[in-house]
Amino acid sequence: MPSYHRKQKVFRYAFLFVVFFGWLLPVPAGASTENNSAVRHVIDLTGRNVEIPALPKRVISLAPAITEMIFSLGKQEVLLATVEYSNHPPQAGDLPRVGSYIRPDLEKIVAFQPDLVLATRDGNPRHVVDQLDRLSIPVFAIDPRNLEHIQKSLLALGTVFEATPRAEAIASSMARRLALIDEHVKLITYRPRVFFQVDAEPIVSIGEDTFLHELITRAGGRNVATGSIPYPRFNWEQVLSLQPEIVIITSMSGGRQPEWLRQQWQRWPQIEAVRNDRIHVVDADLFDRPTQRLVDGLETLTRYLHPQLFAPGRFDPKISVDRSGEL
Amino acid sequence: MNRVPFPSLARSLLLVTVCGGITLAASVFLGLSGGSSGISFTSLWYLMTASAPGEGVTAAIIWDIRLPRVILAAATGSTLAISGLVFQALLRNPLSEPYILGLSGGAAVGALIGMLLGFASFPGITILAFVGGFSSLFLVVAIARHRSEREENTLLLGGVMVNAFCGALIMLMLALSKDTQLRSAVFWLMGDLSQADFRKLPLLLLLLPAMTILFLNARSLNLLLLGRDSAAAFGINIRSFTYMALGLTSFMVGMVVSQTGLIGFVGLVVPHVFRLIVGSDHRLLMPLCLFGGGSFLILCDLFARTLPPQGEIPVGILTALIGAPLFICLLWKAKT
Repeated sequence: MPSYHRKQKVFRYAFLFVVFFGWLLPVPAGASTENNSAVRHVIDLTGRNVEIPALPKRVISLAPAITEMIFSLGKQEVLLATVEYSNHPPQAGDLPRVGSYIRPDLEKIVAFQPDLVLATRDGNPRHVVDQLDRLSIPVFAIDPRNLEHIQKSLLALGTVFEATPRAEAIASSMARRLALIDEHVKLITYRPRVFFQVDAEPIVSIGEDTFLHELITRAGGRNVATGSIPYPRFNWEQVLSLQPEIVIITSMSGGRQPEWLRQQWQRWPQIEAVRNDRIHVVDADLFDRPTQRLVDGLETLTRYLHPQLFAPGRFDPKISVDRSGEL
Repeated sequence: MNRVPFPSLARSLLLVTVCGGITLAASVFLGLSGGSSGISFTSLWYLMTASAPGEGVTAAIIWDIRLPRVILAAATGSTLAISGLVFQALLRNPLSEPYILGLSGGAAVGALIGMLLGFASFPGITILAFVGGFSSLFLVVAIARHRSEREENTLLLGGVMVNAFCGALIMLMLALSKDTQLRSAVFWLMGDLSQADFRKLPLLLLLLPAMTILFLNARSLNLLLLGRDSAAAFGINIRSFTYMALGLTSFMVGMVVSQTGLIGFVGLVVPHVFRLIVGSDHRLLMPLCLFGGGSFLILCDLFARTLPPQGEIPVGILTALIGAPLFICLLWKAKT
């Protein structure tokens, strides 16, 4: 091949790639650097070392539970935005949304110019936290994976927002109510078999490694859906063979009406729970939000599992029994 | 042998490069100026013309969030379009495309295995994606080879079946994996550019040598269109050339699939549009697919992340909405 052809070719390719990839080269690192006067170093509940403003004023919450905790600490005025399904308390519904907690919208988060983002270990994708890190937006992550860690999370948020007295009050009220439930559940002699349904089509229950499993145990029941898979699927054959004595269905199961959810079970009188009319549809928000309201959920559950504890004169009147949670 | 190029080739190539470059630059500009937090041309223009890289929120959004995404979209679109072009010539089937032939599906299976095993994105996941893609492609081509030359649809049927099998494998792995992993993988199945990250982008530079080699062999692709015998008469070692080209495309597709998931039909839409415009000279089609594929996917991604008010959708939904009807049209045309 004559060499001028080769030269021409080489030049052609060089030109081609410069045109295509040339704009790759100048990559500016324009990360936003908040010019905050005072910062402090804290360790969040996932063990990350974070530098946060002394008093965060522009905060985005990446989970409905976190939003709820901020409201309960009375610090809602710092919240700029939150994620889909943040509906409690009702005022939280007015906050702008930055995607869902499974898929937060990075660009919208950055556009709000937050000085702190609150994340949760279970659910928020790790890569979003990493990207926020690289953009110098501090992320404080909590890990409310069970009742004890909910209290820890509240206390940690109390420290971050200088609302420690409020946080301590909520945490100790939780502890008091929990101790009371524990005390009563200790009196029971039999733990009924419980099937906890979180989705209807297909039927999804909860495995051992979830806070709902812990809740059932604490309420004095036995979760029949044991196993290491967090959210195992079931068909009716399996459910029938498990023979639950009590069925608890969360109201969000498949977006269905409580009546429809109950009817699905009532087709099977072979199941003990159906025969004894112990199918209960409960408010999903009390059970799938890891916040202090989970104690309400626990009380509800204890009532359904052990109604004899609630017989007049038996139960300590300090436990709130006005909120049944039945739908 | 006549080695002197067409008199107009150099000029056509220059024209193609300039037009393609301008289109790509315009797409990049559009892709950078729009996003879920709003669309602004002026602030982007201001940032681009400013001497300093710029600070603050707008700069961070454009340079650190949108730019890696646009680059990933461009590289993915180019790769898929060029791979489609190469397959269509190599297998002499106008409906060939990495997604339809099961190459993307195989690569996705490999990448998913790597992710579930907790491998690093390079070399672990990339190599597994390459192995998965190459083996499914090899399988499809082998199925087709045992048939007579005329039954070219065997190739597509083989691809459909390998695709179905890979799809089943993917669903199986997702069904067995833990719930939190599954949620993001569902998006990944229809193509997900939202995880674009500057730290992973340098990997894409490995695409360059592969694309260069393919471009240097554009003439062989032209000759292959004349038929295997004619190409052999022109001195092409068809067997080794086929393996080389299939290996390179598998590598490229494996690379992008492991970062973006399954994005279909780009390799079908883009080459066909350009073939209508400039004919079937692969020396021109190759750079056109490079620019056009990149632009196409940047624009699709722009729509995917700005149009739905509920939040972004996987970009593969848009490419399939455009590509599948085109596939049906082409099938229809081939019949009549």
